[in-house]
Amino acid sequence: MELGRLEYLQALVTEFPVTDSTGNKRRCSLALSVWRGSSHTRPFSLAEAKEQVLANLANFAYDPSNYEYLRQLQVLDLFLDMLTEDNETLVEFAMGGLCNLCLDKTNKEYILEANGVEPIINCLSSSNEETVVSAVTTLMFLTTPRSRAQTTALPVVECMLRFSLSANTRLSNLASIFLQDYCSPPQVEEARNLSRHTAVGIPLPKD
Amino acid sequence: KMAAGSSGGPGAPCRHHAQLGACESRAKYREGWRPRAVYTINLESRYLLIQGVPALGVMKELVEQFALYGAIEEYHALDEYPAEQFTEVYLIKFKKLQCARVAKKKMDERSFFGSLLHVCYAPEFETVQETREKLQDRRKYIAKATNQRDFFVLKKVEGPKKTASKNSEHDCPWSTSQSHVASNWDPSCFRSSPGVSHNTAYPCGNQNQSLLTSPHYDNNCAEISGYFGQNTSLTPSVHPGGHTPPASLRQERMVPAYNGIDRFMPRTTHLQERKRKREEGNKFSLIGTSEDNTEVVIGPQLPEIPKVDMDDESLNTSATLIRNKLKEVADYVSTSSVEKPESSSAKPLVKQRRRI
Repeated sequence: MELGRLEYLQALVTEFPVTDSTGNKRRCSLALSVWRGSSHTRPFSLAEAKEQVLANLANFAYDPSNYEYLRQLQVLDLFLDMLTEDNETLVEFAMGGLCNLCLDKTNKEYILEANGVEPIINCLSSSNEETVVSAVTTLMFLTTPRSRAQTTALPVVECMLRFSLSANTRLSNLASIFLQDYCSPPQVEEARNLSRHTAVGIPLPKD
Repeated sequence: KMAAGSSGGPGAPCRHHAQLGACESRAKYREGWRPRAVYTINLESRYLLIQGVPALGVMKELVEQFALYGAIEEYHALDEYPAEQFTEVYLIKFKKLQCARVAKKKMDERSFFGSLLHVCYAPEFETVQETREKLQDRRKYIAKATNQRDFFVLKKVEGPKKTASKNSEHDCPWSTSQSHVASNWDPSCFRSSPGVSHNTAYPCGNQNQSLLTSPHYDNNCAEISGYFGQNTSLTPSVHPGGHTPPASLRQERMVPAYNGIDRFMPRTTHLQERKRKREEGNKFSLIGTSEDNTEVVIGPQLPEIPKVDMDDESLNTSATLIRNKLKEVADYVSTSSVEKPESSSAKPLVKQRRRI
């Protein structure tokens, strides 16, 4: 679907079902308005409009005073759903949004209850730098006594070991913090031993 | 995407060409159009990279300009960084992240000695410890701003470890009343007003303001704003009139986060909140609107002060004493509020410190 060339356009209206305090279901609208810069007019696709909605929501998620409303609009679920999209940009923005809001206790519990850790771990293998970096930080922020078995599972620790050796400073810094602050030494040792015994670790035979 | 067939008639071939043209140019724009739109703590940094500085030997002036936004720890030219002809690249390290944030916002795309500066964060220059501290600061900020304490004990984080077991169980009731306040807000003023000042280390208001009016990307592209609500027109600024929370409320929302003891809302905030709720209750009973269809609202509802059981004798005693005192003062204020509406609201406002 192609959006025409309009000065002012309603690009996307998404309705979120909201249950109010007395148990009545109402609908809230998130409406997106798209303005055009006067110098260029060019057509948009719905995909691009979706990306911008998500970007805005992810940025709103940075400010704690918005959390209550974001929860009501089920934006947390939206972020989690977007993690499995094919569109890399949507994944990146959704992961950023989660990273921004997951430190809040209520949000944290919600994400953990919704089995959010799994799709976030999957984001570690994304080719998008921002996605990976957001995923590492989010896993740290989501680590609690109860969730740590999941967030610091062996494959994750292994992954962090590899990241800590990366030339990308942002990534290696975050991975190092993960290993130092969120994993116990035995955990790190176990992951290290595992990588030592795989084919990747075997040195080439000398001539 | 080309339209399926031209719309008949003698003028059709011309229109067909025009449409082809549009598709071509659209493809070009598509590739180049990639807004940097989402800001996370990983992207932000005390380090700022400044490109486009004219090579006129103006480092001193540059640093002086940036120092307006906060204390600078380090600065130097980055000779090895790729730069456009006749320009230089500098790295400036601020003492505080929030200063870097404001400096970036203000100085990006600013003209400097005839050249346009491009300012961005440079987290890749951080040490591991600096990144660690950045994340910890973010943690602390969220904990304060949401009146919560994350009692998961990390190896290197300082904090009230002895109360860990007790408080992880129940939510602080003060935070419940906080969020209740939030839900009464008209969502269309979604933290966008620049007038909203956090008396805090984090001017998040700035960030969202810029994002609602113009997300950080090419000016030539369309700007998109989001808003919540039913058929209201979109303006990023705060709407005057009925639904706008009064300035005092905005300020009071921030006050609890920045007093020493997170558990207790300061007395003045409490009075403000009760007054506001009374006013809101009045408003609803006059207009006759109520979100709750089953209850009949008769007169304003005064909120109850949530009672906290803190599992500790002396704390509970103190809390009861404070609560009673609050009640006492609140009653006094409500009777005299008609005579002196200004002073009771002006006083807490004067006490706030605006930090840039």
